[in-house]
Amino acid sequence: MAVDIGGLKLRNPVMTASGTFGYGKEYAPYVDLNLLGAVVVKGVSLQPRKGNPPRRIMETPSGMLNAIGLENPGVDVFLRDKLPYLSQFDVPVIVNIFGETIDEYRRIAEVLNNRPGIHGLEVNISCPNVKEGGMAFGSDPDMAFKVTREVKSATGLPVIVKLTPNVGDIQAVAEGVEKGGADAISLINTLLGMSVDIEKKIPHLKNIVGGLSGPAIKPVALRMVWEVVGRVSIPVIGIGGITNAADALEFLITGAKAVQVGTANFINPKATVEIIEGIERYLRKNKMNDINDLIGTLNTGGNVC
Amino acid sequence: MSLKLPGSFKKPIPGQFLMVRIKGRNEPFLGRPFSVYSFAQDGRGVYVEILYKIVGKGTMCLSGQKKGALLEIHGPYGTPFDMDKYPRNVILVSGGIGVAPVTYLASQYRHYLPAAPHLEMVCYHGVTGSRRLLGLERLKEFCSDVFISSDDGTVGYHGSVVEMFEKDVLSYNPEDTMIYACGPRPMLKKLAGLGEVPRFRCQALLEEHMACGLGACLGCAIRVRDGEGRGAYRRVCTDGPVFNIQDIEWDY
Ligand SMILES: Cc1cc2nc3c(=O)[nH]c(=O)nc-3n(C[C@H](O)[C@H](O)[C@H](O)COP(=O)(O)OP(=O)(O)OC[C@H]3O[C@@H](n4cnc5c(N)ncnc54)[C@H](O)[C@@H]3O)c2cc1C
Ligand SMILES: Cc1cc2nc3c(=O)[nH]c(=O)nc-3n(C[C@H](O)[C@H](O)[C@H](O)COP(=O)(O)O)c2cc1C
Ligand code: FES
Repeated sequence: MAVDIGGLKLRNPVMTASGTFGYGKEYAPYVDLNLLGAVVVKGVSLQPRKGNPPRRIMETPSGMLNAIGLENPGVDVFLRDKLPYLSQFDVPVIVNIFGETIDEYRRIAEVLNNRPGIHGLEVNISCPNVKEGGMAFGSDPDMAFKVTREVKSATGLPVIVKLTPNVGDIQAVAEGVEKGGADAISLINTLLGMSVDIEKKIPHLKNIVGGLSGPAIKPVALRMVWEVVGRVSIPVIGIGGITNAADALEFLITGAKAVQVGTANFINPKATVEIIEGIERYLRKNKMNDINDLIGTLNTGGNVC
Repeated sequence: MSLKLPGSFKKPIPGQFLMVRIKGRNEPFLGRPFSVYSFAQDGRGVYVEILYKIVGKGTMCLSGQKKGALLEIHGPYGTPFDMDKYPRNVILVSGGIGVAPVTYLASQYRHYLPAAPHLEMVCYHGVTGSRRLLGLERLKEFCSDVFISSDDGTVGYHGSVVEMFEKDVLSYNPEDTMIYACGPRPMLKKLAGLGEVPRFRCQALLEEHMACGLGACLGCAIRVRDGEGRGAYRRVCTDGPVFNIQDIEWDY
């Protein structure tokens, strides 16, 4: 079941998606963290962020909208209060980072460099929630290139760059990120969406718009993964609406080398381990020994994107 | 609604809640939080009752479940009410479905009676009208008095539960009285606004929309004043749902 993501060795291809698994501790009563491919923690910034005023979430058909606003205690508190807990486990820890300027991205990457207990960085250039935030970086290939290059130059850790789906040409952004030196790409972050209370005639979310996640976005995520694996040669991590092993297998067959499980954790705290078990069962049933023999086996009848 | 759970299910402490989901469905998608109304245990398992009001899709689907239907239930979650070891006066102020958690609280306080023979427990309960007088039987067993108010005057005091409580508040001694409040946000806000209330220890159970219920998504934030009096967000699911009523910022 082991996969290699740009130098990062995972015991299996199932990781947690940032912002949906807290700092690991929240789920430890339900999941043996040592069984996971990796834990990706909630997005961390240089300075603490309070996040958006409530209401922050809204259920939608087969999914949800969120406008958390990247609330986090800041990198110092993360290192002091959150990381030590995770370090007790034998699981790769990937820190999801974001900033409001290229300089902030570089500085947080520097702070996290050479820290025991951190195995990789995931760079969020995509969060749609914060007005001054990542949006611009992830929607422009050149900006995506620059952020990636800065972060790479500031760290010796494997760097995964996480893409936003809220763009016209995802392949162009992926290329920019690859050119910038990323070790891997993960996608997708949430899709920008909205929902209205017809009685009060107000948006359900105080922030008006929010990020859509959950099963509703899976087809979009899968399509984008397919487009990106067809364009870049670095490993791609598939994210979006994965709730069971079959969902994860769709992404792996399409060419993702690993997957992240997000919103599914909310409705089933054991989702990650159940997905790992399900993938193992599928491999056994199909008499396959190595997950890598499955990755990218999609047969499109010769059609390419 | 009565739920049968495996024997390993931990006994909830008053104020804690369960996340309830209809098994195998993506619609409604997220679990819904419900307070514990009663708890019992025997050799075969654990029995928890919840009391709910139909307000939307999730509660509507729940009401359509047949006896014996399978539900996905997680919990008990949340930081419970602080209970006094040697209570003297316990005042419950509830509105509508808020009766559920205060009833469970009252039932657990009854176990303290041997240590607190002078325990006086009363409840002020508000409803919209007489047709909404549900789930009060047990509360009446536990409390020496249950005062009822209704918005439309069809039962009890005509007016809000907070107005009704305000008339009595001076008769309680803040030194040995604990107030527990649970109900709609406007009711809690009004209670927090009573001039006398800051002299009491007063805990309120807050509601917010939830996704994970266990502190990971930060979706259930409400605004409070932190230790230094600055505005901060707290998670209803883990930092709450019980808060000191004084700490809550009502408008944002
Ligand atoms: C800790 C806690 C304990 C609760 N205990 C009980 C209980 O014992 N009995 C009970 O009947 N209800 C309880 N609730 C409220 C209950 O969770 C909601 O009524 C339920 O989630 C509504 O789901 P729905 O799909 O039917 O309504 P929806 O279609 O989701 O919403 C209908 C309306 O209710 C409002 N609403 C829904 N959920 C919430 C919420 N969590 N907070 C504030 N407003 C909300 C919506 O804004 C909307 O106006 C509790 C909530 C919390 C947070
Ligand atoms: C409540 C919530 C918070 C999130 N926070 C972050 C975050 O801090 N950083 C980030 O890169 N992505 C964040 N995401 C996006 C997820 O990591 C993931 O990309 C997205 O939800 C799609 O996957 P899913 O459908 O499996 O949830 C968040 C998603 C949700 C639902
Ligand atoms: S519901 Fe997820 S943090 Fe409270």
